This record gives sequence, C-alpha cells and structure tokens, in this order.
Amino acid sequence: MSSRAGQKRAAKVVRQQMARERRRQRTLWTSVLAVAALVIAGMIGWGVFASQRADEYHAPAGATADGSGIAVGTGPVTVDIYEDFLCPACRQFETQVGPVLDQLVADGRIRVVHHPVAYLDRASTTGYSSRASAAAGCAADGGRYGEYSSALFERQPAEGGAGLSTDELIRIGGGVGLDEDTFGTCIRDGRFRSWTEHVTDLASERGIRGTPTVFVDGQPVQNSADAIRAAIDATGR
Amino acid sequence: MSVTVNTVGETRRSAVLPWIGTAVRLGLAAVWLLAGASKVGDLAASGRAVAAYEVMPYDVAKIVGAALPFVEITLGVLLLLGVATRLAAAVSAALLVVFVAGITSAWVRGLTIDCGCFGTGGQLPAGQTPSYGPELLRDLGFLALAGFLLVRPHTRISVDAMGAPRPEEEQ
Repeated sequence: MSSRAGQKRAAKVVRQQMARERRRQRTLWTSVLAVAALVIAGMIGWGVFASQRADEYHAPAGATADGSGIAVGTGPVTVDIYEDFLCPACRQFETQVGPVLDQLVADGRIRVVHHPVAYLDRASTTGYSSRASAAAGCAADGGRYGEYSSALFERQPAEGGAGLSTDELIRIGGGVGLDEDTFGTCIRDGRFRSWTEHVTDLASERGIRGTPTVFVDGQPVQNSADAIRAAIDATGR
Repeated sequence: MSVTVNTVGETRRSAVLPWIGTAVRLGLAAVWLLAGASKVGDLAASGRAVAAYEVMPYDVAKIVGAALPFVEITLGVLLLLGVATRLAAAVSAALLVVFVAGITSAWVRGLTIDCGCFGTGGQLPAGQTPSYGPELLRDLGFLALAGFLLVRPHTRISVDAMGAPRPEEEQ
C-alpha cells in the first residue's frame, strides 16, 4: 500500500466532510430564513387586517345607540335581523316574513333592528354586499331604510357577478322617494362604508355565522314567520 | 466496491424520484397559493370562517383568519421555489393535520359549516348539508403530498439543489 494513495483517500474524506458541513450550514440558514418568512407573513396579515378597519364610523340616522343596525318601529319586543343584500336566503326571508314583521311593527308590538352585514363580499366581483349595505345606510339617513331594503332584495343580483352598479343603486333610491342628488352623493362619497364595517364586525363578534339570523329579545329564533311570532307571543308583551 | 444487480434498479429509482418530488412540490405549492389567494381579499371573512369552527374566541379567530392566507401564500412560494423544502413540507403537514382535526371536530359536533378551505366558509344556509367527507379526503390527499416531501425533500429544479452537491453523490 503506497502512502500516496493513503493521502489521497484522506484528502477525499476531508473534502467530503467539508462539503457536508457546508450543506448543513446552508440547510440551517435557509430553514431559519423560511421560518422568519412565515412568521413575518402572518404578522403582515394581521397588520393589513388591522389597518383595513377604520377606528371611527359615522352612523346614519335611525341607527341604534351602538350603531349595530337600523331600528324600525317602537314596539316593546325587539327583533334583530342579520341579513346580507346578496344572500338568496335573505331575499326569501324578506318576501315571506317581511310583510308579517311590517304588520307587527304597524301594530306597535315590535321594534325591528336591521343589521345589513357584508358577509358575502367575495361572492361578487365588486364587493356588492358592502356597497349595498353602505347604500342602505344612505337610505336610512334619508328616512327610507325599509323601502330601500325591500327594493334591493326585490332586485337582488345573482351571486358570482358584479351586482348592481352604483348608478342602479342610486336610481332604486330615487324609485323609493329618496332625493337622487343627496342620496347619490352619499353613496359616491362612501359616507357609510365604515359604518358597514362596524355593523359587520359587531355581528361577527356576536357570533353570527350566516344570514339570515334572527333574534327575538336577544334569543336566537328560527327564521320562519311561525317561529318568530311564537317567540314574540311568548314574551307576553 | 461490489456491484450488485440491485444497484441498477436503485439508480433508476434515484433518478426518477426527484422528478416525482418536483411534481409533488409544485402540486402542493399550487394548493397553498390557491387557498391563500381565495381568502386574502376579505380577511374579515377569513376570520369568520375560522370562528365558525367554534374552537377559539372570536378575537383569536380574527387574528388567525387574517394571518392564515399570508402564511399559506408564503408556504406556496417556498414550495414553488424549492426553498427549505423539508421545513415547508413539515409546516404544511402540521397545518393540514390541524385542518383535518378542525373539520372532524365540526363534523362530530354536528356544526353545519363550510370548511372555508378555499374561500367562502361560515355557516351554511338552512337546508344545505355540509360536505365534510370530501373535504377531509381532499385534505388527507394534500397531507400525503406533504408527507412525501417530508421524507424525500430533494427534488429537481429547486433552490435547495442549486450550488449544493447532490446528497447521493456524497455517499
């Protein structure tokens, strides 16, 4: 056995060891960087979300004290309705149960609080839920929330599309007796967009997971006319 | 050195497997990128989707929901480039195990929610039944992809492989 062959072999072992060490270092550092990237990405997400939410909101006329919805009527029993203008089940609810509630309001038995949440913004290409809710805020400011809300549900666009345009939203307001200039300016200025966020956040916090969701005097109730009437009768008022 | 018949088969295996690994890596990258992109446009909705599982208070779900899409997209980019593949695979597997556990627990507790895996999420309208079975199978499939990369993180066309000697050449 020649010593030269032995030296060669030893040198090869050393090279291999050094290569392995370099590889180990490289893996370690890429892993550290990757973990840092994941952590930073998460923090960016939270930061973006926090910066998107406005701290202040401006509630329209007719809003409840906490700004969570628009109150209609002055009856002793409060009925809370969480609805999204793009939700088909809400449209169905409005056509079937809406008239019953209107009657109960007219009879002075209930006070309805409408919470126009924007849960389905991703179900349209233009964030229709938010746009419609903010427009409804403008209608409330003009004293026509109920009429406007009904008109929006009547003309509810299909999910997945662009929804009604701003011009259409304004014309519908004109159709229910709102002044198109004032109403149009309110919508175009986005005056109640932060209020819509506020309404949506409060609903999320309250644990509202879907729409429509109904409460009678703070208790969750099935969204059928019979169930709601029974719950109102059960209050004894 | 003795050459056995087996080495021929193993050489072929070690030539093909890194390419399969590349396909798996890009597949899992696509999953994360799509999942993240579908949620990133409405972070509040993402928080509600997390809250719908009813496993944490809303304030925590809000943070998790906002952070999750960004973490998913980052995981997707890491896998797409092949940076720290084994780590990305491990984090992927851990996340998927959490998702599988979440969906299973929602199923067991009889919640009627959409998993919110690729956007949407939250409570389903009355009369609509949840599809927990397919959602779970899908996530288990993704988990298998992550598992493959966890065991065999060395793939072709990756940053990890650039400039570094191939591990099989060392031994």
